[in-house]
Amino acid sequence: MNSALEINNLCKSYGSKKALSELTVSFPEGQVTGLLGPNGAGKSTLLKSFVGLVKPESGTIRVFGQQLSWKLNADISYLPDRAKWYKFHTVEHALSYAHKILPSFDLSRAHQMIKMMDLGLADKVSTLSKGQEARLHVILCLARNVKLVLLDEPFSGIDLISRERIIQSIIDSMLDKQQTIILSTHEIHEAESLFDHVVFLDQGHLIQEGNAEVLRQENGSIESIYRGLFR
Amino acid sequence: MESFQVGEFTFPLDLSKPLYEQVLQHIRHAVARGDVLLGTKLPSVRDLAQQLKINPNTVMRAYQELDRDHLTETRRGQGTFITSDLNTVSQVKKDLAFEAVQAFVSTMKQLGIDRTTAQSLIKEVEWHE
Repeated sequence: MNSALEINNLCKSYGSKKALSELTVSFPEGQVTGLLGPNGAGKSTLLKSFVGLVKPESGTIRVFGQQLSWKLNADISYLPDRAKWYKFHTVEHALSYAHKILPSFDLSRAHQMIKMMDLGLADKVSTLSKGQEARLHVILCLARNVKLVLLDEPFSGIDLISRERIIQSIIDSMLDKQQTIILSTHEIHEAESLFDHVVFLDQGHLIQEGNAEVLRQENGSIESIYRGLFR
Repeated sequence: MESFQVGEFTFPLDLSKPLYEQVLQHIRHAVARGDVLLGTKLPSVRDLAQQLKINPNTVMRAYQELDRDHLTETRRGQGTFITSDLNTVSQVKKDLAFEAVQAFVSTMKQLGIDRTTAQSLIKEVEWHE
């Protein structure tokens, strides 16, 4: 199995707190990896470092064998934790704006997804519920023909139906194109059936990783493994 | 454990066991028990993945294995169908029965029960036919 990302000895501190501590880990290409760990484990910092939003103090990151660059960012779709969009846009404006600024944005696919996710084109972003806005953000990420998709907590704090719709759109996206998806989440029970691969972080360290089906065979559900690791 | 109804199939999914094996076993058992008519079309990979909310790779892997065992047949552009060949079905039934017997034997061994005792237990047990 080829790796989409190879991370070597990555270190990043915020003041005296180590967010990533000599982290060495890789992510398989063309698969969905669940990036799991408690708050403060380093998940968001790691995802940010893949798109250059965090500058590590030391260590290397290779994405599809290349060093990070602005050019490479065109091939990466990133959904930040606590994402926000322009309040004064309608959903339709958001799509056309995304189409202008985001490389390889597939506008017709985005429109299809808006229908599937039950959003109204004329609705203003300021009037969307938290769950509806989360759906919009996921659409803006998944409607792009990119090789790597990073989703930082796409389900956090949103309603059940929105979570299910988002899971549906991730499955659709996997069927339509060959993509590497890395998804961090605390909703392990709901998301674990999507994972091909799982990476567990704690305090900036890798504590376990592996193929989700092999881990299930050996140790039971990903959720129960998580409990065992962090209790 | 959650149960999903997809077309003619019911899939209880247990997240503590490999999902691919469960999809595979449900279809095998459904055919061997005669719950599903021969020649029935299986749900598409998309439908099954969407309904079960599982990774499409998992469904594809299970379907490939069914194809390899000739329990299903994938016709280009039409989908995947349960075989109409009775010999294949009876072979699958035999395989599943053998798996069940092996599981039984290993349980007996763990309990320290020898072959003769186990065999006489089988004779004694009521079948409720």
